[in-house]
Amino acid sequence: MSELGRLSLLLAFACSIFAVGSIAWGLRTGLSGPLRGGRRAVWTVCGLTVLAVIILERALLARDMSYRYVAEHTSKDLPLHYAFTSLWAGQEGSLLLWLLILSAYGSAFLFAYRKRLDPFYDAVAMVIACVMIFFTGLLSFVSSPFRILATPPPDGMGLNPLLQDPGMMIHPPILYTGYVGFVVPFAFAMAVLLLNRSGTRWIEEVRRWTLFCWGFLGVGVLLGARWAYIELGWGGYWGWDPVENASLMPWLVGTAFLHSVMIEQRRGMLKTWNITLIALTFLLSMFGTFLTRSGVLTSVHSFAESNIGPWFLGFILITATAATALILYRKALLESENRMEAVVSREGSFLFNNVLFVALTFATFLGTTFPVLSEAVTGTKISVSAPFFNRVNVPIALTLLLLTGAGPVLSWKRATASVLKRNFILPTFLGVVAVLVALPFGAAGIYTLVCIFGAAFVITTIVMEFARGIQARKSVETGPLPGQVVSLVQKNKRRYGGYIVHAGMVVLFLGVLGSSVFQKEAHGPLRNGETLKLGPYALTLRGVTDHQKQNASLTTAIVDVQRDGKFVATEHPSKAFYSKSQQPMTEVALHTTPMEDLYLILGGVNEDGSASIQAYINPLVSFVWVGGLIMVLGTLIAISDKMRLRREEKVAS
Amino acid sequence: MTSNSVRLAVLTLVLIAAVGYLILTGVKQTGMQYMSVAELASLDQAPKAEGFRLDGVVAPGSVVYDQREPRLQFKMTDGKDGKDQIAVVYQGLMPDAFADGREVVVEGAYRHHDRALYASKLVTKCPSKYEAKGLGKDKS
Repeated sequence: MSELGRLSLLLAFACSIFAVGSIAWGLRTGLSGPLRGGRRAVWTVCGLTVLAVIILERALLARDMSYRYVAEHTSKDLPLHYAFTSLWAGQEGSLLLWLLILSAYGSAFLFAYRKRLDPFYDAVAMVIACVMIFFTGLLSFVSSPFRILATPPPDGMGLNPLLQDPGMMIHPPILYTGYVGFVVPFAFAMAVLLLNRSGTRWIEEVRRWTLFCWGFLGVGVLLGARWAYIELGWGGYWGWDPVENASLMPWLVGTAFLHSVMIEQRRGMLKTWNITLIALTFLLSMFGTFLTRSGVLTSVHSFAESNIGPWFLGFILITATAATALILYRKALLESENRMEAVVSREGSFLFNNVLFVALTFATFLGTTFPVLSEAVTGTKISVSAPFFNRVNVPIALTLLLLTGAGPVLSWKRATASVLKRNFILPTFLGVVAVLVALPFGAAGIYTLVCIFGAAFVITTIVMEFARGIQARKSVETGPLPGQVVSLVQKNKRRYGGYIVHAGMVVLFLGVLGSSVFQKEAHGPLRNGETLKLGPYALTLRGVTDHQKQNASLTTAIVDVQRDGKFVATEHPSKAFYSKSQQPMTEVALHTTPMEDLYLILGGVNEDGSASIQAYINPLVSFVWVGGLIMVLGTLIAISDKMRLRREEKVAS
Repeated sequence: MTSNSVRLAVLTLVLIAAVGYLILTGVKQTGMQYMSVAELASLDQAPKAEGFRLDGVVAPGSVVYDQREPRLQFKMTDGKDGKDQIAVVYQGLMPDAFADGREVVVEGAYRHHDRALYASKLVTKCPSKYEAKGLGKDKS
């Protein structure tokens, strides 16, 4: 079986090379035969990859310990669903998942454009196939998931307990769907440059693909944060860890692109900039994979050091060089059609939005790679961590928050004084009111106050935009308000979807503010019946129990939670000992309410039978997740807009 | 037209300068020297800056954990001969993956007079790569 796996990857490698060669030949000669052959080869790569995945999954599910990958990442007592998801527990399997998603994108792309005979789409497929060469080659010659052990062990090493979590089952595939998906916008951009195509149609297609991947990447980042919050057991969801940063960076540049692409569509400006952003997004997602997998930087999510680092770095450098060369070569194609007329305008605000997003990415990149960079430049290794990112990124992010309110209500080309007055007086007023209301609750510090002001400011501008839209449609739309809002959103999904994303972002900002600034902590050893006080909570230990799980033994503290003297719940923070890894695994107890989370950690049981309990109040954490969900909703609305347009197009043609 | 481009360029430059300033002062104030245990142990006098980041291995048998505090104390070595050692004091829960011989990264303030690093952050690297070596060779 393993030989079949190896063979299918090898054939996929050959097919990828064939696809690139064949399409290149077809584009050069104008013959349709080689183009068709190339497309078929891309389909074949997808089929072969699926076959390789099935073979590896079969081995994982059967715990076939003759496979090195299976022996390294599973054990016989591992529950079946975790055996299934161990496909992405290690490097080789993760790369295979990468290739699976990549080839799925390739096929989905070919399927979506199967009726278009324009060779432009073949060129896009060719660029995707180039990336396939890299991954199939890596999996065939450098990091094969089908290595067979000379002497199979009786049982495997077991799956890292940290990865035995439902969140971890879906986090990597979703994150990868985002990461890998940026290959399609990148391929579009490169195809435009290769074929010297003008026109704006492709940019709308790229926008839609980007929105899709961007949404998935965002969900992936949030799931990762949620996983860190629940599994890592230090009470936080974001630590500016290199791996977290790696997933944030392409998201940030993608966000910049989604904004500046509107200027290109509307005014034909910033073309070079947009293509650069597309290329950068793809390169950063490759860089993210490189960071996660190379062991260059130390991370809480640290994965074994490996031999694929140089290959990735080489691929990134070659891709970056090729993209830069192409952009320079086709400079004429990317000539701007218009010029910026005024600083205070929609274009101006988008421009600053872009500068800030890129600055945020740059600072994150710099901070993440600082040990390597400082050693190269000055010879001494300097490292920065969370304090640096908070210091640099928080002010930039807050400026962006303010811009989120200002941008959408500025008019294109030039905003007049009366527009400014009409749109800004009420939001500013309500922003100040929000700050005044928050002051008695202990809000202090410039960043906190700016954040509260900004949140109220942005939400007000969004509500005003909805109100204005409804007002304008008064004549055609009557009936209850919710119905009017829905029909308004349906009328211009892209615009109002965008506003909903903004609203979600504001909610997320409030969650981050609350949980980072207002966190409270208490800890102590508790004997049976003793009580720990934390804010309005009283935590009373009712006992400690031990019991056996499938592949672990579990020590659990039983804690009664009272809030303001009233009983609310019994919580069970625990520690599991996995028999395979001989490693304890803290399982936090989480009592979630809309306004705050009570977060309980069992530090351990002491010799005298008392339990060491650490407790946190994390205010507004649920806002982070709810904000994320609202953003997803907005993204879905914005994506669905284009489908409507396409139907109209079909009618027209 | 031209005055607008100038205004735009100036504003952009101001933004970039502001971000540059943030980064520079950020590095200056929060940057930590990234050293190996041997390098730090060989210092004769107190270093100018206190912030350090140290990669190393938990010296076997050196771990003292007071779960009630909670406070974790241990010695770090470079992992080869264990000759050079730095004491680490960490106020916090012991991370799950923490154990003798594990690779750890600590960040914190180094006090030269007691040759100890008072860690504010402690990260334990995933141990899987050591265990994987036990599987033996591939079938050729």
